[in-house]
Amino acid sequence: MFRRLQRLCAVGALVGLAAPALAADNSPVRQGAIGYALKALYWAVYQTPDGKDECPQGFNTWGPRETFKALFPQDKGQKWTEQESHLAREIEGWFPSDQPEKFPYIEAVGKVALGLNLDGKIGANDFTSPTGEKGVDNELYRVIGCQVHYRLPDGQTTFFDSKAIVTDHYNRMMIEITNVDDLANDPDVTVTVYRGLDPLLTDATGDNIIPGGSQRIDVKRGGRFHQVFKGRIENGVLTTEGKDLTFPWTTGFGTPTVMIVKDLRFQLKLRETGADGLMAGNVDIENFYSQLMKAESTHHEAYGQLSPPGLARSLRARADGYPDPKTGRMTTISAALDARFTQVFILHPPKAIAQSAHSPADAASR
Amino acid sequence: MGRLALLAIGLTLLATSATAAGRAAPVEDYENVPMPPGFQVVVTELEGPVFADARGHTLYTWPSRRMRNGYTGEAKGVPACFNEKSTENAGLMSPYPPGLLLPDLDTRPTCTEAWPVAVAPADAKPVGAFSIVMRKDGIRQWQYNDHPLYTSFFDRRPGDVLGGTTRSGRAAGNYAWRTPIQPPEKTPSGITVATTAAGRRLVTVGKMSIYVYDKDTPKASACTGQCELSFPPVLAPAAAMAKGEWTTIQRAPGVKQWAFRGQPLYRHAADIERMSMVGGDEPGWSVVYTMKAPPLPPGFTFKETDAGTVVADSRGMTVYKYVCADDALDQLLCDHPKTSQAYRIAICGGGDQARCLREFPPVLAPEGAKSGSNAWGTMYLDPATGHEAAPGDKRALHVWTFRDRPVYTYAGDKFAGDTDGDSRGEFNGARQGFNALFVRDDYFGKAD
Repeated sequence: MFRRLQRLCAVGALVGLAAPALAADNSPVRQGAIGYALKALYWAVYQTPDGKDECPQGFNTWGPRETFKALFPQDKGQKWTEQESHLAREIEGWFPSDQPEKFPYIEAVGKVALGLNLDGKIGANDFTSPTGEKGVDNELYRVIGCQVHYRLPDGQTTFFDSKAIVTDHYNRMMIEITNVDDLANDPDVTVTVYRGLDPLLTDATGDNIIPGGSQRIDVKRGGRFHQVFKGRIENGVLTTEGKDLTFPWTTGFGTPTVMIVKDLRFQLKLRETGADGLMAGNVDIENFYSQLMKAESTHHEAYGQLSPPGLARSLRARADGYPDPKTGRMTTISAALDARFTQVFILHPPKAIAQSAHSPADAASR
Repeated sequence: MGRLALLAIGLTLLATSATAAGRAAPVEDYENVPMPPGFQVVVTELEGPVFADARGHTLYTWPSRRMRNGYTGEAKGVPACFNEKSTENAGLMSPYPPGLLLPDLDTRPTCTEAWPVAVAPADAKPVGAFSIVMRKDGIRQWQYNDHPLYTSFFDRRPGDVLGGTTRSGRAAGNYAWRTPIQPPEKTPSGITVATTAAGRRLVTVGKMSIYVYDKDTPKASACTGQCELSFPPVLAPAAAMAKGEWTTIQRAPGVKQWAFRGQPLYRHAADIERMSMVGGDEPGWSVVYTMKAPPLPPGFTFKETDAGTVVADSRGMTVYKYVCADDALDQLLCDHPKTSQAYRIAICGGGDQARCLREFPPVLAPEGAKSGSNAWGTMYLDPATGHEAAPGDKRALHVWTFRDRPVYTYAGDKFAGDTDGDSRGEFNGARQGFNALFVRDDYFGKAD
């Protein structure tokens, strides 16, 4: 114990005030571990003022209402049946064809995007990050970048999806970093993903998430979301290896949906009170689209002028990973998520209960 | 009909819930209130005690509900369901506008064909909470608590509650659904009974779950000290008296605790959602049912998922129901094989019934299969149309039904416990779409 304290004090003296030290009695790092719970999650969309750089043609405006009005005008007294109008549009949403419609679908352009270099290469199609890193893979940005639905601060998806991260316990995703000697620099840490059971701690207003809450691990229903990553911390930034991860993500309308990402890795700036950064990987496009359709439904898509068939075609066209062995069609799209965590104390269950839960191997076998 | 005779109807309906020892499962008690001549109470498998007409057909109200673009249903004392056929949608659900021609108009019933009026005879007089309203079509109609009453053309036998539910909107669907009427519960103040997918469950009036502990006795609680902090007792007033199935135990001088059927009652301090059942995951603890839902038919099982517990087929694959109400002012159901199939086929097959059979195949039942309950059954489906098959049709599929509607699995579910078919449809599948048969939902209230 004394040796450990001695080491922590030394580390604290070295990193000074700029980096979090582990020596303080009130440090959230306990027994070499610190926990974080997700408090906000957005698809990473690089935005310039008014979107003029990335969306020079403007934003998408042909949402469900606009396309319906154009396809089935009612101002000339013509009567349409449910089957040829409303249900036909629902069919086009649920079973989008590859045939383009007459309505434009505007994709984001430019060379700058948020994200990570997933394949380790610098390709002609890759982006450069706003801070200058080359080789950024984020084809999903092209698909959703000019869709106000996905743009901050008030796009429909950004609002509902992120709100539900807080309000729906279903979405309670946590990471625990263990084997931590130094929260500023540590070449070998382990990052374990759990699902939590408890509400996030807030201040007295109930609106602001604050660190320091307790979270029990969901051993009953969280097995599918359990995963273990190896990682390192450099200058306070955690970077992990890539691994497949499925995590719960519903918008809160009673839809038990998940996000499936292959070869996902974390890149997070760590603080004692929270962590912010990116989760990047290759998103399963069928699951992405299904989650959108189920969780948003045409009603909410209409708010954001999001045309599901247009997005589906763009998604398929821009998919860039994991080709289907039979058809050769790409099944995933490179993407990045803007993830924000608050510090929590993760309460582990008794060993017997933990062992009875799903193991990561179970999750991987799905 | 006497009270005992009515209870006998309920017991007969629930005979399939009998225990292995041959004793009938407990039946929910209710307050005996005045009823019009011929009316009765039938204790049903899924909804508990409901009022019924002289034939035993369940009586429903159609309360006004707020939709996305306006209200529909009935205000108190104002019948809105007549012998008129809706031909166009009403635009109550965004984003689609009103004025679209509804499907299958040639076979679409009028509102009162689907929901026959509970007619009050000319000499009928108001009794208790039952009153009479004169409709604009000249028919005298029974009301309950000033809500006009109807029966449902889906109900055929006493004990059927196939036209609506007392369950929550998340379970019923996102439309102006009809609600069966029920006699008052026989529960102490502060405690009520909620209809859930797993049965009729005791909860507080704030919808927090109530639990029992298997170490307790009818006279004493074994939950004290730290246990009492985790499971606070449901306290009874000092003047509380035992009545029927309700008794009290004394925890301390002057401190009484309610007990139901001889079991002291508790709440669970860590329940963070209304209707949460997580306290029942603690060893020895369980939620309390006045009546449990009937057992699953042979070949079905329960399966744990990321969100809760679902009904599954013999392979553990999640079983789904299809929910549908159209966007007309009369809000007729379109979830049954005898209604239009246009909506269902759009969602499960993109307009192609053959694709529907692949994407959401109905769960096939062996010939001669018996469910052992009224809630579960079988029917013959025409595979080409999705409607009920004509008698003797050799192509017909023999399928399992729940509440007289086929149940399905989803081809997109790859592993046992997947629920990827859930919420596929309009308005998160709650307006028209597929919903997993949750019997416990820890997050969304779909089993409530």
